[in-house]
Amino acid sequence: MRTTVIGLQFLLAAVIGMSAPGQAAPAAAGAPIRIGITTPMQLAVGRDSQDGAQLAIDEINAKGGVLGRRLEMVVADETENPETGITAVKKLTSDEKVDVLVGGYSSGVTLAQLPHISTAKTIYLGIGAASPAITAKVKTDNENYKYIFRVNPLNSKWLAASLVDFVVNFVGAEKGLKKIAIVGESAKWVQDLVPALKKGIVDGGSQVPLAEFFDVQTSDFSPLFSKVRASGAEFLVVIVSHASSDVLVKQWYDARVPIPIGGIDVKSQDPDFFGRVGGKAIGETVLVGFLRAAVTPKTIPFWDAFVKRFQRNPVYTAGGAYDAIHLYAEAAARAKTIEAGPVIKELEKTDMVGTAGRIAFDDTHDLRYGPGYAQVMFVQWQEGGKRAIVWPKERADGKFVLPAMAKK
Amino acid sequence: MLEILLYGAVTSAVYALLAIGFTLVFGVARVLNLAHGSFYALGAYLTFAFGTRLGLPLFAAGPCAVIAVAGFGVVVERVFVRPLRRSPLAVLLITLAVALLVEQGLFLVFGSEVRNVPAFVAANVSIAHVDLGGQRVLAFVVSLALLAALRTFLLGTRNGAAILAVAQDPEGAQSVGIDPNRTFSLVMALSAGLAAAAGVLVSPFLTVQPTMGLLPMIKAFSIVILGGLGSIPGTLLAALALGYSETAVAYLTSGSYTELVSLVAILLTLVLRPSGFLGARAAM
Amino acid sequence: MARIALLVLLLALLASAPLWIGSGYALSVLVLCNLWAVFAISWDFMSGQTGRENFGHGMFIGTGAYTAALLNLHTVVSPAACLPIAGVAAAAVAVVIGLPTLRLKGPYFALATLAAAAILQRFTIIFWEQMGGEEGLSGLSSLVSSPVGFYYASLAFLVLATGALVTLAASPWGILLRGIRGDEVACDAAGISTTRHKIGALVVSAFVAGVGGAMYAFFQLQAGPYLLGVNTSLSVIIMSYVGGIGTVYGAIGGAFLLTGLGEGLRRFGEYRLLFNSVFLIFIVFFLPRGLFAPLWQRLRRRAETA
Repeated sequence: MRTTVIGLQFLLAAVIGMSAPGQAAPAAAGAPIRIGITTPMQLAVGRDSQDGAQLAIDEINAKGGVLGRRLEMVVADETENPETGITAVKKLTSDEKVDVLVGGYSSGVTLAQLPHISTAKTIYLGIGAASPAITAKVKTDNENYKYIFRVNPLNSKWLAASLVDFVVNFVGAEKGLKKIAIVGESAKWVQDLVPALKKGIVDGGSQVPLAEFFDVQTSDFSPLFSKVRASGAEFLVVIVSHASSDVLVKQWYDARVPIPIGGIDVKSQDPDFFGRVGGKAIGETVLVGFLRAAVTPKTIPFWDAFVKRFQRNPVYTAGGAYDAIHLYAEAAARAKTIEAGPVIKELEKTDMVGTAGRIAFDDTHDLRYGPGYAQVMFVQWQEGGKRAIVWPKERADGKFVLPAMAKK
Repeated sequence: MLEILLYGAVTSAVYALLAIGFTLVFGVARVLNLAHGSFYALGAYLTFAFGTRLGLPLFAAGPCAVIAVAGFGVVVERVFVRPLRRSPLAVLLITLAVALLVEQGLFLVFGSEVRNVPAFVAANVSIAHVDLGGQRVLAFVVSLALLAALRTFLLGTRNGAAILAVAQDPEGAQSVGIDPNRTFSLVMALSAGLAAAAGVLVSPFLTVQPTMGLLPMIKAFSIVILGGLGSIPGTLLAALALGYSETAVAYLTSGSYTELVSLVAILLTLVLRPSGFLGARAAM
Repeated sequence: MARIALLVLLLALLASAPLWIGSGYALSVLVLCNLWAVFAISWDFMSGQTGRENFGHGMFIGTGAYTAALLNLHTVVSPAACLPIAGVAAAAVAVVIGLPTLRLKGPYFALATLAAAAILQRFTIIFWEQMGGEEGLSGLSSLVSSPVGFYYASLAFLVLATGALVTLAASPWGILLRGIRGDEVACDAAGISTTRHKIGALVVSAFVAGVGGAMYAFFQLQAGPYLLGVNTSLSVIIMSYVGGIGTVYGAIGGAFLLTGLGEGLRRFGEYRLLFNSVFLIFIVFFLPRGLFAPLWQRLRRRAETA
C-alpha cells in the first residue's frame, strides 16, 4: 500500500517529467534551426499550418538550409483554449528551445500568448489571427513586444476597409444595389468593425436600413432573414467567423431569401465550403485572400505543390505558414545570425512576394495593406462550385451573377 | 406572427424529440446520461456516412443510422452505465467521458470541418407566404409521428407498460416479474434512437460538426429539468415553451439576446417553480 | 504515523520542485496544478460536504479573475491587494445566486448553477467594450514576476487554503454540513437553518475560488470567458471526483493528475484528448469512489490497526 502511494507520486512526477524532453542541444554551428509551430492541431487550419510550413522547410533544406543549418519543425497544440495555448508557447520556448514561433488562429488565444512570448524573447510570426490588438503593443511597448509580427491575414480593420470599398464601389455603384443590411456574429471583432463599416458605406452614398448582431451559437436564422427582408434591403452583408456560416448559407438558400449575400465569411473562404453546404452557397460573394488564381507568381505553384503532396486543398494558414518560413529564412540569411535582435531588424525590412500578395510590414509589424501590397479579393461561388473573382476590377476573372431567387 | 408560429413549431418538435429520451432514462434509471448529445451527433454523422460514403439513398440511410445509434445506446448502457448505477455522479461522469470519446472519434474520423447531409426533401413549402424548407416540414411531421408512436408504445404494449411500471416503482415492478435491467436497456435504446432521429432530421438544415452534440444536450437537460424530472407531459410542455420563447425572442428583439433570454428564463423558472412545470417529485 | 511521514514527504517534494525540475514549462504546469487544485478543493468543500453539486463553479473562478483583471487594468490597486477583493466579489455572486437557488435539490440546483454561470459568461460578450468579449482581458501585471517565486506563492496559497478548508470540514460546522448532506429534512426539523449554512458553505467555496481565479489571471496575465464556461466547471467536478468527493484533500490529487495528464499527453498530438477521455473512463469505471482519498483512508486504517 505504501509502495502504491509512493508509486503514485512517481507517476505524477513522471507524468510531468514526460513533457520535459532531453534538453535540446545548445545552438552549436551546424545544429538545426528549430521552428516552433503553435496551432490548433485538430482543426483544418492547424493541419494546413503544419503542412504549409513543412513544404517551405523542405524547399529551404533542399537548397542547403539557412546559414548552413537545416530547418526543423516542432509542433504544439494550442487548441482554442487560452490555457492550452499558453502552455504550448511555454513548452516550445522553454523546453524545446525553438528559435522562432509561427502560428496562431484564434485571436483570443494569440492575445493570451503574447506576454509569454515576449518574456521568452522569441520572434513570433502570426499566420492566422486578425485582431488589431495583436500588433497594437509593438509600437507602444516596443522593448517588450518587438518580437511580434503578423504575416497573415490582414488586420481586420483593413478587411473592413476593403469591404467598404466592395459594397460602395461594386455592389452600389456598379450593380445599383444601395440598400445594405449588415448582420454579424455577436463577437468583439465584429462589434469593433461594424461602426466603421456602416460609416464608410453611408459616406459612400449607400444606405444601411438594418445592422443586427446574432448570437454565435444561433442555429435558426429565419427570424434574422425575416427582418432583413422587411427592411427592404437589396444586399445582405454578413460578418461571420466562429458562428456556423454553413447553417446561415443553407437556410438562406432554403428560405429563398431574395437578397444576394456576401461579405466576410471565414469558413466560406475554404475551397471545399461549397460542397459542405450541398451547393447552397451559390451566389455568395466573400472576401478571400488566398485562392488558386494567379494572384502572385507563387500562388499557383504553391497551391499545386500542396495539393500534390497532401491530397487536399489548402486553406489560408497554409500559404501564411509557407510565406512566414520563407521570409524568416531570408531575414536570418541577411542578418547572418538567428539572434532575435538582428533578425527583427531584417524582418522589418521584408519585401517579399508571397503566395497571397507582396509582403511588407508597417511600423507596427503588421502586414501592409494597399495597392501593390497585400490585398484581398471578393469572390463569388458560382455554378458547380467555381469561384469567380468579381472585385477589384484589375483582378476580376469572372462576372457577378445575381442569385436565382434575387432575380426580379 | 405566423412565422413565429411555424418556425417555433419545428424547433419545439425537435426539442421534444431530443428531450423525451432524456426524461425516459431519468424516469426509469434515475440517472442523467450526458452522452445523450453524442447520440444526436452520431445520428447525423452516420446518416452522412451511410448516405455519402456508402451511397445509400437518404431515406434508407436515416433509419439505418437511427437503428445503429439505438444499438450503440444499449452498448453504452450495458458496458458503462449499468455497473455504476448506484452512484448517479459516477454515471454522470462516465457518460460525460463517453461523450468526449465520441466527439474525439468524430474529429479523427470525419475531420473538424462541417459535413453535408443533403435534404431528404428538396422541395420548398410555402404556407401563407411563409417559406419553409421542405426538410423543416419533414422534421416537424416525423417528430410528431415518432412522439405519437412512442405514446402508443408506452401505453399500448407490454414492454411499454413495463417501462412505465419501473419508472413508477422499481421494486414493485421487480416483484411482479419485470426485469429492470432489460427495461433499462430498452429505455436507453429508445432514448438513443429518438435523439439520433432528431440529429438525422435536422442535419440538412443545421450544422454537422464533431461538437454539435453539446448545446442540444444542455438544451435537453434544461427542458427535462424545467418540465419536471421524469414527467413526460412536463417535458413536452417545457419543449414547447423553450422552442417558442427562443423563436419569439429572436423575432421580436435582437438575435444576440436569445441565449441570454433562455438562460434567464430557465433560472427564473427554477427559482419560482422549483419542481418544474409538472414535476411530481419534490425538488426542495 | 505513516501518513504524517507521507504528507511531509509530499510537501518536501512539492516545495523542492524548482530544484529538481529543470524545465520552466514543467514548473509552470505545476503552478497550474496548484491553482486547479485550489479550484477543485473549493468546489469539493461546498458540494462534497453538503451534497449539493454546483455545476457552475466557473462563475466564481471567472468572477475572481475578471475582478482582478479589471482592477489591474483600470486602477492602481496592486495585484496582491486585488486578490482578497476578487474573493469578496466571488462571494457576493455566491450570495446572489445561492439565496434563491439553494433550496433546490440535486439536478435542479445543478441546472440553476449551470445557467447562472452561462449568464455571466454571456455578460462578458454583451459588455464586450469593458470585458473584452471573446478576446478577454490581456496585458495584466504579474503577481510575482519570477516563475519560481510564483510557484511558491501558488503552493503557499494551496497549502493555506487546504489547511483552512480541511479544518472547517473537520469542525462542528463541517459535521453540520455533512448532516445536511445526509438528511436535510431531519436537520430542518431540528431547527437548524439549513439554507443559511448552505449559503455559508457556498460563500466560503466562492471566496477561495475567487482568490484562486485572481491568482490564475495574474499568472496567465489574462482573463477570458472560458473561465466562466461549462468546461471549467466540469473539469473541477471531474478533478474532485477522481480525487474522492467529500474529502477536500482528495481533490488536490485529482487536480494534479488531470492537469499533469492533459499536458503530459501532448506527445500524442491530435490524439491527446482521445487518450484523456479513455483514461477518464478507466478511472471512473474502476475507481468509482475516486483514486486518492480511498488510498489515503486505507492508509489510515492500516495505521490504526497496526
